[in-house]
Amino acid sequence: MMGTKVFGCFLLLAASCCHVAAVRAADDADAQEQAALQAAVNRVAPAVVQIETVGGQEKVEGVLFGTGPTTGLAVDPRGYIVSSAFNFLNKPTSILVRLADGRRKSAKLVASDHSRMVVLLKIEAEKPLPVCEIAPQHEMRVGQWAIAVGRTFESEQPNMTVGILSAVERISGKALQTDAAVSPNNYGGPLVDIRGRVMGILVPLSPDASGGVAGMEWYDSGIGFAIPMEQIRQVLPRLEKGEDLHPGVAGIHLKGPNLYVGPAVIAACHPQCPATAAGIRAGDEIVEIDGRRIVRGVEVKTAIGRHYAGDKMRLTVLRGKERLEREITLAETLEPFQHGFLGVLPMRTAEEKGVTVRYVYPKSPAAAAGIAAGDTLVSLGGKPIAGRIEMIEQISALEPGAAVEVEVRRGQSLRNLKIVLASLPELLPPSDLPPATDVRKQAETTAPRVGVVSMKTPEYANEVLGYVPDAPASGSPRGVVVWLHGRGGFDRKQLLAEWKPLCDRYRVILVAPKSKNPAGWMATDAALVDRLLTEVNSKYQVDPARVVVDGYESGGSIALLSAFSNRESIRAVAAVEAAPLTPPLENEPLHRLAVYMASAAKSPWAAAIERAVATMRQMKFPVVVKKLGTASRDLNAAELAELLRWIDTLDRI
Amino acid sequence: MLLFATTTFASLSDTIDQVQSKIVKIYGAGGYRGMEAYQSGILISPDGHILTAYSYVLDTDYITAVLADGRHFEAKLVGADPRLEIAVLKIAAAELPYFDLHRAVKAAEGERVMALSNLFGVAVGDEPVSVQRGTISVVARLEARRGVFETPYRGPVYVLDVTTNNPGAAGGALVTRRGELIGILGKELRNSLNNTWLNYAVPIDELRRSVEEIRSGKFVAQRDPQADKKPRRSVDLGLLGIVLVPDVLERTPPFVDRVRPGSPAARAGIRPDDLIVLSGDHLIQSCKALRSELEYIDYEDEVKLTLLRDQELLQVTLRPLRDVNPPKKEQP
Repeated sequence: MMGTKVFGCFLLLAASCCHVAAVRAADDADAQEQAALQAAVNRVAPAVVQIETVGGQEKVEGVLFGTGPTTGLAVDPRGYIVSSAFNFLNKPTSILVRLADGRRKSAKLVASDHSRMVVLLKIEAEKPLPVCEIAPQHEMRVGQWAIAVGRTFESEQPNMTVGILSAVERISGKALQTDAAVSPNNYGGPLVDIRGRVMGILVPLSPDASGGVAGMEWYDSGIGFAIPMEQIRQVLPRLEKGEDLHPGVAGIHLKGPNLYVGPAVIAACHPQCPATAAGIRAGDEIVEIDGRRIVRGVEVKTAIGRHYAGDKMRLTVLRGKERLEREITLAETLEPFQHGFLGVLPMRTAEEKGVTVRYVYPKSPAAAAGIAAGDTLVSLGGKPIAGRIEMIEQISALEPGAAVEVEVRRGQSLRNLKIVLASLPELLPPSDLPPATDVRKQAETTAPRVGVVSMKTPEYANEVLGYVPDAPASGSPRGVVVWLHGRGGFDRKQLLAEWKPLCDRYRVILVAPKSKNPAGWMATDAALVDRLLTEVNSKYQVDPARVVVDGYESGGSIALLSAFSNRESIRAVAAVEAAPLTPPLENEPLHRLAVYMASAAKSPWAAAIERAVATMRQMKFPVVVKKLGTASRDLNAAELAELLRWIDTLDRI
Repeated sequence: MLLFATTTFASLSDTIDQVQSKIVKIYGAGGYRGMEAYQSGILISPDGHILTAYSYVLDTDYITAVLADGRHFEAKLVGADPRLEIAVLKIAAAELPYFDLHRAVKAAEGERVMALSNLFGVAVGDEPVSVQRGTISVVARLEARRGVFETPYRGPVYVLDVTTNNPGAAGGALVTRRGELIGILGKELRNSLNNTWLNYAVPIDELRRSVEEIRSGKFVAQRDPQADKKPRRSVDLGLLGIVLVPDVLERTPPFVDRVRPGSPAARAGIRPDDLIVLSGDHLIQSCKALRSELEYIDYEDEVKLTLLRDQELLQVTLRPLRDVNPPKKEQP
């Protein structure tokens, strides 16, 4: 007992000696660490400059744009300075650079790198600018010190934030990631290592959005990005010559829906794109890019993402058993893609082969070639037509002006027609369309609930009213309309009274969620639309050619957002008194999207809607424009019936 | 190495324990939407003086101070310095652990620091307040431009690289890793120049005199001599002889459209199409900004402008009074 106590005391004493020594050592370690951090910043400080701008817009992409000083880094003694493109998005009239020694110089924007979001400035320097040592990328290790440096405060010293390197090769290999605080206080400044070598230039970036302010919402969040200085150095000579750099486009569309699973098989190539020019075509599987093995689709995106327009890439593809190697030169932009149109509506019957013509559009190529309702389209380009959906896909992959050979059967006679495709119509259909299905009815084998149903999903609190027309005619799947209400929600009874007869007539499932916020919908609600579509698809047999999102006011904006972000499943969008929240993405050969925009002359969004229509038409989306008279309102009964009739023609070929 | 690491943590947590004993949670007025009824403070004397932020929270007769051991005290407001946005409270207690303001230290860029405060009111009862670690980003002055920061304080601050200045944090302590007091966390401030939140603390050096005066009852609220005061009569563009381009945009760049012959501007060599970029050392980003900037310059003073002409920066000095009316000034 006694012995234990003495022993215990001794231990305690030893521990406290050890403790004192350890505290001193820790103090020393702290002091050394601090000295190292300060020394690192001091090494780059002379090259870190403050940038001030005069004039320019007040808002950029809806974000209030600060006028505050920003940061740049001298990269060449002759007066070249790099900075973040974010700092110049408001297109200032004049740029002033304040050097580390306090001298102010006027600067010119020489060139912009739109892929990596950095810019090059030039000042007339009387004496050479101090430049920094660059950290080689192969030496960078995740977990090492990373110090973000800016010069935006009223101080002789630059401002510094301390963290570690969180990741390398982020965002298509274009960026380093750090947990040091990165914000407008240091955008354009360097991210340096503990030895004071420049690792990269701090920029706002976002993995799933492009544009100048993308990633700004992540400021000071522990997720910051920097463009590796080695990459910037490689393109400096081009930027110095005043050449703007753009992200490269290959024009390849991969088979989806999930790019993280399965091999990188090309679903479609844009008709006038670098890939097509190099002889690559749909069905090819990409197995190597620039000697690197490609296993998943997403790796192709990453590989292209790190390249600029004009860069060459070596693609190795498998075509059947054949292994082909092709060099492609990436483009800056592609001509907008426009879907081809034959001019017929198909019957929705489950015929084994061919497509029976339900209706022929007047003045269409099909009409000119003498095709009539009741004819059966048997083959396309010498290959038998498998069915309605396949034929839509085949014709859609072609552009207006393309010639196709169609074999048509009328009664016992077969005819071969050569038809030149036109573009999809932008007119509403006539009121006397023949029905798309036989009148004979047949019950579904496993009958899910029909009539008025709740489609509430477990993940979302939103109430969802659904109406499912009863068992469809033989082999004919139902269309889907997700309807997003405007201000004030909707009255259940009234909504059903309006929609039920139309849903029954055109065999369309109505899905009407209620927003959680009574004031309207939020951009994040686009995820709810996707979820509801998945739900409907899993329960009912859905016609993939007639999946529509329709909305009024803020519901219309969300409908547009959903449609442009879910091109795989949504075939049409109808927006009533609503403008898009984001600019539309380019049209895709693989997926059609038809647009219906209704607005009143005195709509508060009239100008924005008009701009959106012009943009979408420029991008070759077929847009129906519906005028609603003077005062802002929702569709009336007749207009709704007309809209549903238009939806009934979405499987046009 | 393992032993080293654990003892290092032990020493840091000992330090934190010591500092925690000197931090006070303060509850008072507020509680409405966006106005929290709590903030933080530090003990600055063994007999119950508390230094905290001067805010609406203290705007009540019932201020409660909760010490680290959970004891509640009713606190009396001894006095406040609205210019520094600090206040001193007093509770009836004795032999308390405290920060001696005379032993506070200075910190430099790159120094690792800790911030202790009851941000968001997370700590309740005798729970210790929240500890955050970070680095001094820069020691900078807030005064740069008028209206940039909504605070009367115009002195230096420690800018931090960690999100410290949240609701309830004002009045908390910024300390070194050894537990020495460096500064007091300020209220939430938005930097209107780039729309970001500023995380900062005010150095003790800036507060010490005021705190002592408040404690000794000698404090007299004084107008800041450096305050942004407009002169009785200021210069304007007409007086200088400058006509700017029509101000049609939100941020019309201040290009000179015309210069009145014989005016101070003409004498200084200002020409049409010059862009006025600086007044004194202040950046001028628009026609509006130039007009309001001139309101702070007395009509008897010189006006120093920097012009941008063909990518070259030129400095000119305009003497409105002398140039307009030289004989009058010489008259007795």
